[in-house]
Amino acid sequence: MLEQGNIRSGASASASVSYATQKEDGVQPQRSIADRVASLGRLPIKGQIWRSCLASSFLVALITLAGLRIAHIVGGPNLVILYMLAVVFSALRWGRGPALVSAVLSALLFDYFFVPPYRSVAVTDIWYSITLFSLLAVGFLVSILTASAREEARLARKREAHTAALYAFSESLADAGSLEQILEAIGRHIHDAFQRPLVLLLPERGGLAARFLSDVFILDESEKTAAAWVFENGQAAGAGSDMFPATRAYYLPMRTWRGTVGVLGLHSQGLTALLPADQQQLLGSFVNQAALAITRAQLATEARRAELLEETDKLQKALLNSISHDLRTPLASVTGTLNSLLEDAPLLDVSTQRELLETARDEAKRLDRLVRNLLDMSRLESNAVRLRTELCDVQDVVGTALAQLGEAADRRRIAVLASPQLPLVPMDSVLIVQVIVNLLENALKYSETDLPIEVEARVERDQLHLSVRDRGQGIPDEDLERVFDKFYRCVTPSVARGAGLGLAICKGFIEAHGGKIQVARRAQGGTEARFTLPTSRTDE
Amino acid sequence: MNKQGPRVLVVDDEPAIRRFLRASLCAHGYTVDEASSGEEALQVIPAVHPDVIILDLGLPDIGGREILSHLREWSQTPIIILSVQGEESEKIAALDAGADDYLTKPFATGELQARIRAVLRRADREESGPVFTTGDLTIDLSARTVRLGETEVKLTPTEYSLLKVLVTHAGKLLTHRQLAREVWGGAHYEDTQHLLRVNISNLRRKLEADTSRPRYIVTEPGAGYRLQVESSPDRASADA
Repeated sequence: MLEQGNIRSGASASASVSYATQKEDGVQPQRSIADRVASLGRLPIKGQIWRSCLASSFLVALITLAGLRIAHIVGGPNLVILYMLAVVFSALRWGRGPALVSAVLSALLFDYFFVPPYRSVAVTDIWYSITLFSLLAVGFLVSILTASAREEARLARKREAHTAALYAFSESLADAGSLEQILEAIGRHIHDAFQRPLVLLLPERGGLAARFLSDVFILDESEKTAAAWVFENGQAAGAGSDMFPATRAYYLPMRTWRGTVGVLGLHSQGLTALLPADQQQLLGSFVNQAALAITRAQLATEARRAELLEETDKLQKALLNSISHDLRTPLASVTGTLNSLLEDAPLLDVSTQRELLETARDEAKRLDRLVRNLLDMSRLESNAVRLRTELCDVQDVVGTALAQLGEAADRRRIAVLASPQLPLVPMDSVLIVQVIVNLLENALKYSETDLPIEVEARVERDQLHLSVRDRGQGIPDEDLERVFDKFYRCVTPSVARGAGLGLAICKGFIEAHGGKIQVARRAQGGTEARFTLPTSRTDE
Repeated sequence: MNKQGPRVLVVDDEPAIRRFLRASLCAHGYTVDEASSGEEALQVIPAVHPDVIILDLGLPDIGGREILSHLREWSQTPIIILSVQGEESEKIAALDAGADDYLTKPFATGELQARIRAVLRRADREESGPVFTTGDLTIDLSARTVRLGETEVKLTPTEYSLLKVLVTHAGKLLTHRQLAREVWGGAHYEDTQHLLRVNISNLRRKLEADTSRPRYIVTEPGAGYRLQVESSPDRASADA
């Protein structure tokens, strides 16, 4: 417990330090952290120790030479201080071994040259024995102390490097938004920290799929089997362990409270031994963080999906309500009218009977329009609209729309402003006629019967501009944005009857042609619906 | 009308449609036969010799186009097809394959009767004179003159031959392809599309009082053109 506490506080302190240096440098010292972590695993090489011992011996020899020169001034025995300095310096500079070497050598040389009898290792004076013993004792003590200080420092540096690596890792995980980015960050950081190829496997449709794979990592069947076993059992296995020792990589389960979320495979690079204990621990921390990050991303995705599902569900319910209402209303009128004609015919005079029949017919027509609109909408939504583009005479298209409106259009003043010199425009005339019919129906519906309606067509800069204008009460600003939404009806004019599909279909048809449609309020009152169509063929 | 009015064969798999067509057509003096499938239609036609066939495009057994091509091998009986919205390409193909006209369900019976009258009149007109009149428009095919009221209208040769094709099939829907073939011969349809639109537009400018509300040359969107025969009272409910 106590040890853990120490490590924690030390870790957080060095983490903040390393963060500060990162800030100052401006450039993230990714490499150096990696190098530091990697170099910590290595032991000092033998040649280096020999070289250090040689250097410390050389230092002692130098002091002896210098001592021989100045012995007659300061007095030989006092030179022991210089030897002590050499021992302490060796211990600090090169560590325990060279310090011991320098201590023994110092004692021998001091005894030989500066302790009477000179040129002999024999010691006759008891005081000199004490001096020599002190020199040796100091040498040993200092070397032991410095060595443990160096070890402390080395461990501290290692801890700091680990913490920095983990910190950088958790930072980039926090930045990563999607699962893909998270997996990419995991792969990159673990690779940087351990300098080994790796693979990340996540469950997918009953099996495991590699979601991150280093270039040189070969994931064959035996590797996959080991990974699958690790995923199944939640235990590490692979190269260097008892399970699947023949594989090239060591596999660790990535576990959270939700169970095993994936498997990490770290290539052994031909070395059968496992990682050193401290690196194992670091790897464990990496894997834990990775597992948490993956889980976080998966939970976020699930939450989004659930939200979307709920939205869709709500929308569908609203849609169903709206449609069933819109279908039932005309059906109720038709059924009611026909029933009353069947049952009450003797009581009704001829003109009433005719009136009832006309009502039934008009309601049936309305039903037909609604079904047609629903069909168009579903064709648009399933991308089933196939344009049969032909060069068309715009005036003819407008005329056809007017003819389709029939009596409704004949009763009103509808001015057509179109030059006979308009060029032919490529379009699917059936669809564009329907767009104009829908726009005109709106204009007829939302403006008083004595007010004029205008249809204007002109060609400017490779675009046909066609607008339908009325002098009705206009669309409120807050509705302008939404009039093209499916099933949207303006609230204000209460005369509105219809499913709110007309403009949505117009938009769909116009956009299928590569054009644009918009609705605006006219300055002097009324509404202007305007669409554009490209005059040059782009689709074929 | 007498009991031996024109014979109409109604081919539709919906009993409700057959029932109301029978009621409406009988009331107007037609003799009505029925077939509920393509198979049955092909058996009945040689036996009853109908004057007009009303053919639903969406029969469950044989495709409407298949029946048409079978029939056209040995019979020139006028055929009016019934289609629903969304069958546009099927409809055009049927017209190109020899159907005389079409109606989109749901339709008004008045409209159907107008179409029947038009196709029957054409069948009779083989022997009728060279002068055709509709509204103020008079075309004398032997003198090659076109009059609007009292004034003679000058047409280019292409415009005249286009109008002539429309007149000889007055009341009948002519597809773009059929018109192009009759006026420009075997030339590529794609090339003549443009010419056809321009000439129709020119003809309208010379013949119609209001080009955006044509009275004589009517557009069937996505399908073709028809020369409207004025005597039919159904112009107003054309969309029904």
